[in-house]
Amino acid sequence: MKVDNKVDEICELPTPKRDTELRQVWRHLRRNRLAMIGLGVLLVFLLCAIFAPLLTGYDPIKIDLGNAFKLPSTENLLGTDWQGRDVFTRILYGSRISLAIGLISVTIGMLIGVPIGALSGYYGGRFDLFIQRIIDILIAFPGILLAIVVVTVLGVGVENVMIAVGIASVPIYTRLVRGSVLAVKEQGYIAAAKALGIGDFRIIMRHIMPNCLGPIIVQSTFQIATAILWAAGLGFLGLGAQPPDPEWGAMLSKGREYIRTAHHLTTYPGLAILFMVLGFNLIGDGLRDALDPRSRKHK
Amino acid sequence: MNNPEPMLEVEDLKKYFPIRTGVFSRVVGHVKAVDGISMRINPGETYGLVGESGCGKSTAGLTILNMLNPSGGSVLYKGKDIYSMGKEEMRNLRKEMQIIFQDPYSSLNPRMSVGEAIGEALEVHGIATGKKRREKVEYILKVCGLDTYHYRRYPHEFSGGQRQRVVIARALVLEPQFIVADEPISALDVSIQSQIINLLEELQDQFGLTFLFISHDLSVVKHMANRVGVMYLGRIVEDAPKKEFYASPLHPYSQALLSAVPSMLPAQQKERIILTGDVPSPSNPPPGCTFHTRCPWAVAICSNEVPHLKKVGPDHFVSCHLVEEVI
Repeated sequence: MKVDNKVDEICELPTPKRDTELRQVWRHLRRNRLAMIGLGVLLVFLLCAIFAPLLTGYDPIKIDLGNAFKLPSTENLLGTDWQGRDVFTRILYGSRISLAIGLISVTIGMLIGVPIGALSGYYGGRFDLFIQRIIDILIAFPGILLAIVVVTVLGVGVENVMIAVGIASVPIYTRLVRGSVLAVKEQGYIAAAKALGIGDFRIIMRHIMPNCLGPIIVQSTFQIATAILWAAGLGFLGLGAQPPDPEWGAMLSKGREYIRTAHHLTTYPGLAILFMVLGFNLIGDGLRDALDPRSRKHK
Repeated sequence: MNNPEPMLEVEDLKKYFPIRTGVFSRVVGHVKAVDGISMRINPGETYGLVGESGCGKSTAGLTILNMLNPSGGSVLYKGKDIYSMGKEEMRNLRKEMQIIFQDPYSSLNPRMSVGEAIGEALEVHGIATGKKRREKVEYILKVCGLDTYHYRRYPHEFSGGQRQRVVIARALVLEPQFIVADEPISALDVSIQSQIINLLEELQDQFGLTFLFISHDLSVVKHMANRVGVMYLGRIVEDAPKKEFYASPLHPYSQALLSAVPSMLPAQQKERIILTGDVPSPSNPPPGCTFHTRCPWAVAICSNEVPHLKKVGPDHFVSCHLVEEVI
């Protein structure tokens, strides 16, 4: 029963262009209209943040009391606030702060949460039990409350908000990564790697983590949205950015005092928060579908 | 036929998995996946371990490679007890003992190119890096019936048979001497199975490999093995040279298994021995001979006393109380 060993090669289809997973994901994402809208919204915010000085002639901080409480007009697109500052300008500059808080705090949360979750899931046992009980306690608090506690300890300010929101998102990452690691750990290639004498560190870094990336990426887009919301919340409570920084939450909080006479002071920063969070959520939804091979096949 | 130095000597190997329940993970019992098996495998030989699914074949394979901690017994590889080895010594031994898994789909990392997957071990063990590593991987790819241009391909670009070749290439790249083949063909199409079998045989000739071939396919084992061990519920019930086993199986379970193998020649068609009932749970095996609940010849002693492997021929062992009468 000798058969030519290369027979099965005939079955192989020619692959003219290398279809990487990244390309497949992008192709799927591009067809998702909502995700594209989200991406568009975020791009607008990103461009606003980068080119803020070119898009407006006003200064976001300089006080001009003579022009206070102007209603939206051609001169001041979204009106001026109680200190005569152009609201549109402040929102543009505020997108810098919000984006920075979102990205940096999520990075902090990821840098701490992902390794803890990976080790906890990979080694299991008592170590896992110990870590997970701590995470249970942290998850029992609402994230914003945890962030408030951390800010209270560290003191107010944008940097501390980033740290606080980052720490508050650690438990979410730990749980997520632990779950993914538990699933990947049982795959045959992990056993094969162990049989080949490959060390634990290398197995985690090269075999397990690359296969857990999908959920982490998806969670991160949602987490950025949450972080921006938490940061705005902290700003609203006066624990975040301090005046005169044009932070959206702080703008809302101060504008609230004049909501009967000058609603534009709260409406527009509120809309800015809404759209940025919506943008991240839409793209996150799209990514979740696009990164899941099963849902990819249906379309 | 006691050869001077067996490659592998398994002595009364046990692997129990604890069953835990409740908040405090109290151990309430054990699944006796492997319950005291012994075997000797000589260099260059193929030992075929057969049995139904769930009888502990795969657990035995993993425990023999020290990938699961044994609950008892010993495994001597070239005369050295592998369970008493230190971490570093064991890591070095990994180069000599390898495993081929059943499912070629889950045993390749989808995010690693074939070249990386095969070459990784070379790097980790400091055998070859850079260009030398590549040459070595390309050589082993060719040996396993693949092409050098497959080096940069990813697993999803391959068919099942090709994936299994990659898995075999990965196991071989460290030039091992002993390989546990854990049902290496049962996940493949029948048309591909024979190719993989041929490949394994060629490799055995070329590299002088010793196999522990785990399978539930008696015809494949007949083709591959020199020696056959039949497992039932964590124990080896019969252990014999291939020819003797296929000509005159002595344990009732072996006989039932062999009677189920279809034959091409109507004249050879034996009467089917049909076992009733299911395999009992390994967490609560029946007392006495574990097979007595399904054995057509069971008598009183079978449910009371545990039979031990008895020597019935020069190199033929059976664990059955009634073996003399059955003969």
